[in-house]
Amino acid sequence: MSLPGNLLAREPDDKLNASLMRITFFGIAIALASASVASAESAPARIDLSQFPAAAIEDVVVPVPSEIFNVLDKLGSPNWKGELRESLGRQSGNRAQVALLLGTVIAEGFIAVEAEDSGKVKDIGREVLELSKAIGVEKAVVARSKAIVDKAEAKNWPAVRTELDGALQDVRGAMIELNDEDLAQLVSLGGWIRGTEVLTSIVRKDYKPQRAELLHQPELLNYFNRQLENMSPRLRNSQLVSQIQKVLNEISPLIIEGEGRKISPESVERINDMTNEVVVSITSADA
Amino acid sequence: MKKRLLSIALALLAIPFALRATVDDALSFAYEAATPYVEQGFTFREDAWGGDLGVGEQKAVAAQLFKGNDYWFCLGTDADNATLSVHIYDSKGKLVESKNWQKGRFAGALVSPKQTGTYYAIVEVKQSPQERTHWALVYGYR
Repeated sequence: MSLPGNLLAREPDDKLNASLMRITFFGIAIALASASVASAESAPARIDLSQFPAAAIEDVVVPVPSEIFNVLDKLGSPNWKGELRESLGRQSGNRAQVALLLGTVIAEGFIAVEAEDSGKVKDIGREVLELSKAIGVEKAVVARSKAIVDKAEAKNWPAVRTELDGALQDVRGAMIELNDEDLAQLVSLGGWIRGTEVLTSIVRKDYKPQRAELLHQPELLNYFNRQLENMSPRLRNSQLVSQIQKVLNEISPLIIEGEGRKISPESVERINDMTNEVVVSITSADA
Repeated sequence: MKKRLLSIALALLAIPFALRATVDDALSFAYEAATPYVEQGFTFREDAWGGDLGVGEQKAVAAQLFKGNDYWFCLGTDADNATLSVHIYDSKGKLVESKNWQKGRFAGALVSPKQTGTYYAIVEVKQSPQERTHWALVYGYR
């Protein structure tokens, strides 16, 4: 992507390295020289968020597992290989189950990247395609699936991570295009549940308050609950979705932090047990 | 068109090509604003937010951020001579960004969360020759 150097300005950065001086990014250097003209316009130190009408607030975006795993890596060296599931699960033919399963499989991909397990990542790339086919969105992820496999073969982990993130967005986008927004939400939810299961598994094995704090995601829980509430009665009343809704409601009070309150080891264990049960249900063909 | 870009993809199919192009262009400019940070090792999400705002109007974008990561929020618009801003607040409404810049159609804000939780990126069109100005916001983490 070319840069309009006379338009783009950024803050000075001591870490600017030689790579930025490449011709492609010559515009950035020009912009750096003019950084002083970029205004860091003053913003109020405090605002009253309650004054924002609901319509002026965008829903929270669901974080990808890497955002959390990045932090975990900085806090220690988790045994990512030990967190990988042996089986990616089986599809039942139920579209809701397949959507949730697809979310867990993509999340598994992020874990496999952390574990630098190229064989597993390649399996996951192929499975993403299979599951996408089962719900009619395979065209959206053919290229992504191939890219995941190719980049895992090359052990280009940052690129695999990007492709997994892209696969998630492409699948969701294709589902929305097919007026299957509910299924798109289930893909995100499946990914979040598997990601939370792994996060709590790691934290419970070596509890530290700053690790447990990663579970403090109240608005995200509210968002998922709102999405489930607004789903069609057929989906909302399905056994799997009902189980998930119940679990989300039980998790919500356990992840509250602030005013001296921390997420306890007991809460972490409880959340891990609950999300594990849900993952088992999702990955079972009986769902 | 006040939904996340992913969600508005369909809606865009129903509107004239010229208007659709402006939203796509706004996203391109947001990614342009992000390019230097990609070089610094930030991973930018393919998910994005976008819409249109009148001059002086604001939009609050909720984001779940994690203590231990750094986040760049990058904003762009396709509107020539428009000026936009983005600022990051915590859930109590306190300004928390550690860096901020704004120049014409581009703006950016860096935040290193002191706590894991919900944060709000406040997007505003400061000035624009257009009645409604299309904008797009992306974020990256490291």
